Amino acid sequence: MTFKLDALFDSPDKQYLDANDLSTLSQYVSSIPERMAVYRTLRDQEIAIMQPIADALQQQAGHPEPLVERSVRNGLMVLRYAAMAMLLDDESFVEERLQGWLPEMVKAYETQAVDQQLFQLLHKQLSKVFSPAQLGLLKPSLEKAQSLMLNTRETVTLAGLL
Amino acid sequence: MVSVADLLTDGRLPGNYFAQDLYVRGSTELGLLENRRGDRLLAIPDPLLQAIYSGLEKETGQASGLVLYNCGRWWGKNFYARFCEELADYYKQPLASLSMAEFLQSLQQCWKTHGWGQIHLDITYRDRGFLGVEIWHSPFTAAAPQGQKPSGDLERGILEIFFTQLTGRELRCAQTSCTAKGDDCNRFILGLEKRLAPVEGMVANGQAHQAIMQTLMQQG
Repeated sequence: MTFKLDALFDSPDKQYLDANDLSTLSQYVSSIPERMAVYRTLRDQEIAIMQPIADALQQQAGHPEPLVERSVRNGLMVLRYAAMAMLLDDESFVEERLQGWLPEMVKAYETQAVDQQLFQLLHKQLSKVFSPAQLGLLKPSLEKAQSLMLNTRETVTLAGLL
Repeated sequence: MVSVADLLTDGRLPGNYFAQDLYVRGSTELGLLENRRGDRLLAIPDPLLQAIYSGLEKETGQASGLVLYNCGRWWGKNFYARFCEELADYYKQPLASLSMAEFLQSLQQCWKTHGWGQIHLDITYRDRGFLGVEIWHSPFTAAAPQGQKPSGDLERGILEIFFTQLTGRELRCAQTSCTAKGDDCNRFILGLEKRLAPVEGMVANGQAHQAIMQTLMQQG
């Protein structure tokens, strides 16, 4: 894990932290209560947030059940990793853990179209649950995950094997 | 109806088991590298790989490819068993019920995380009974002596036994391109021995991957 603050903690062999470094640290520390509040909400309301999305994808958009299941699974995974990244204030966490995995699963199961809708619904759903400031904390890692997932450049042709 | 609660067995959501920052750990007190299960990992320096190639060449000459190929098969047999065991443990289900997509993506990640390069499957020829495998940035052929013949014998052995065990059919593997002879990556073809037989001759004649595949396809 490369925690954004790792760079600070690596530095004792160079010199003491300067005022800028300390202010970065204190900004992060003072944001922790809010981050934990958002994290707790995501954790406790995981199903409540995702169930209406699953229903909408199936009933309104009319996607077949196996596809919706797959896509919801992707959505849950993204949300969990985004939650952790938000807690750590490190969106690269999302990238490290999901890269080389989620994009390939999206491609293998051909859920791109459903995933796209899922993300739109997810943004709506989250804005009901969180304040704009709280959403702002979550946004960088969610966007990272979204672009990672829907930008499947790597050429791996697993879909045909299934 | 899709029930989100039912999708989460025990609240778990298995993902990228072989993610590098999770998989490679270490017990620095004992001077050991370990994987996330506590099995030992070993970093091999490039000069040691080069020394193995040159030592084999010196002592066994022509046979060194065969030795490496057999080492690869040995390695592959154990690798397959361990790989399956780790995945079955992680997914908490028998491997047979794991989907092919998860299985193969795990293989790719596993390969990458161990530093063996990037492995990709090419299924273009699967209707004709061949499976293609590409390995990019292979550290093994990078350390091998440069020459006119493919030198990925170690990888050929691993792939052959891995996919033989995976498919339950006795497969053979031939290498059709190799970084050690100036190609962009290592390409391998897997198939039944009878059907793959002509490939060795074509490789020996220095034919390129594309030409070999074309001839194979024309044979029908």
